[in-house]
Amino acid sequence: MKSSIEPIVGRYVNVTVGSARQRIYFEEAGQGRPVVCLHTAGADTRQWRSVLNDEAFTRSHRFIAFDMPWHGKSPPPEGFETEEYLLSTETYMETVLAFCRAAGLEKPLLAGCSMGGRIALQLAALHPESFSGFIAIEASDFQPAWYDIDWFHRPDAHGGEMGAALVSANIAPQAPDAERWTTLWMFMQSGPGVFRGDLSFYTSDDSLVGRLGSIDTRRTPVHIMCGEYDLTCTPEDAQRTAASIKGSTLAIMKDLGHFPMSENPTAFRAYFKEALERVTRVPARLMDA
Amino acid sequence: MPRVLNLRQRLDGMAAALERRPHLLRLGRLFNETILIEVDQEEFYLTFEKGRVVEIKEGPSKKLPWRFALRAKGDALREFWQPLPKPGFHDIFGLVKYGNGSIDGDILTLVKNLRYFKEFMALGRKEGFS
Repeated sequence: MKSSIEPIVGRYVNVTVGSARQRIYFEEAGQGRPVVCLHTAGADTRQWRSVLNDEAFTRSHRFIAFDMPWHGKSPPPEGFETEEYLLSTETYMETVLAFCRAAGLEKPLLAGCSMGGRIALQLAALHPESFSGFIAIEASDFQPAWYDIDWFHRPDAHGGEMGAALVSANIAPQAPDAERWTTLWMFMQSGPGVFRGDLSFYTSDDSLVGRLGSIDTRRTPVHIMCGEYDLTCTPEDAQRTAASIKGSTLAIMKDLGHFPMSENPTAFRAYFKEALERVTRVPARLMDA
Repeated sequence: MPRVLNLRQRLDGMAAALERRPHLLRLGRLFNETILIEVDQEEFYLTFEKGRVVEIKEGPSKKLPWRFALRAKGDALREFWQPLPKPGFHDIFGLVKYGNGSIDGDILTLVKNLRYFKEFMALGRKEGFS
């Protein structure tokens, strides 16, 4: 009988971001080129479970996925009980950089989905020296909210249940029920106000728009991926973003929505394999030399 | 040949399908509202009690009160009810985002019962409402 113990291993690392000490939970699996994986708003590392459990990927890559503070098993910082959680681009970038330093990762690939994809592109523009390439999934320059984010956190409605029911709009109808509901469960479990605080950053900070042109894909390749059923980051949003990053590549993914690695791992697999190959290519500058 | 249903028949079928969904009756146990579903110019007032549809009244009416309304283009709603709808037609919020529908009224009531209402609307996808 095949062992039922998965290869994924979880640990904690302690970092300081700004003035806050953060105890960050991360999971990893595989050996080889390091890939740091970022989850979407309102969810956690479990969105990457199938990639970390896929031997076809873990044979050649070491995947490290961490829960942002306030998410999953990473607790909020001391004093959270009187704080309104509002993520910012600066804090998000500092957290990713601090995690990579603390985990001893040297120039990993960065793969992020949704707000994780947005911050990957911000880091591609502002801190490319810390990474070897970027996979930006369901990521674009900016979209304003198509919903009122305050609905996600109020005393007379359950933010988790409402959030899950809302984001189900972003899952493709081809998603298997088991994966669909595993994906939605993370939103149901999200801490009060956390999804709202993530979306506040995601739907109000448009600073990436003017930075896309400065991304140098000859140094750090950028591959953008977008599910055809994504209502939040639509294929048009991804195409517009890719067109603004010279040398970037783009894949529009059939039968997938906003949480491709989680909602339908089987359909995502070939697209992610292509993504890893794209960001592993020899930079054009070296080929010319 | 699958039957071609008019809207009233489809809504009746969805109401009947609710009875065979214990989890929806449980999720909707506090849902006691009349809502308006408007398709092109046709109005349907669905009254829910404890998660069951107890009455469907056809409009037009300027007198019947309703808690929230879902208005949609007929063609878009027919695509929404396909087993595998095209992108943008796969969710009521997709209809809204791409200008094929709108939601108005007491949104808080919808928010509180969002999963229940979305799954009720999706019951129209089931062939023969099994």
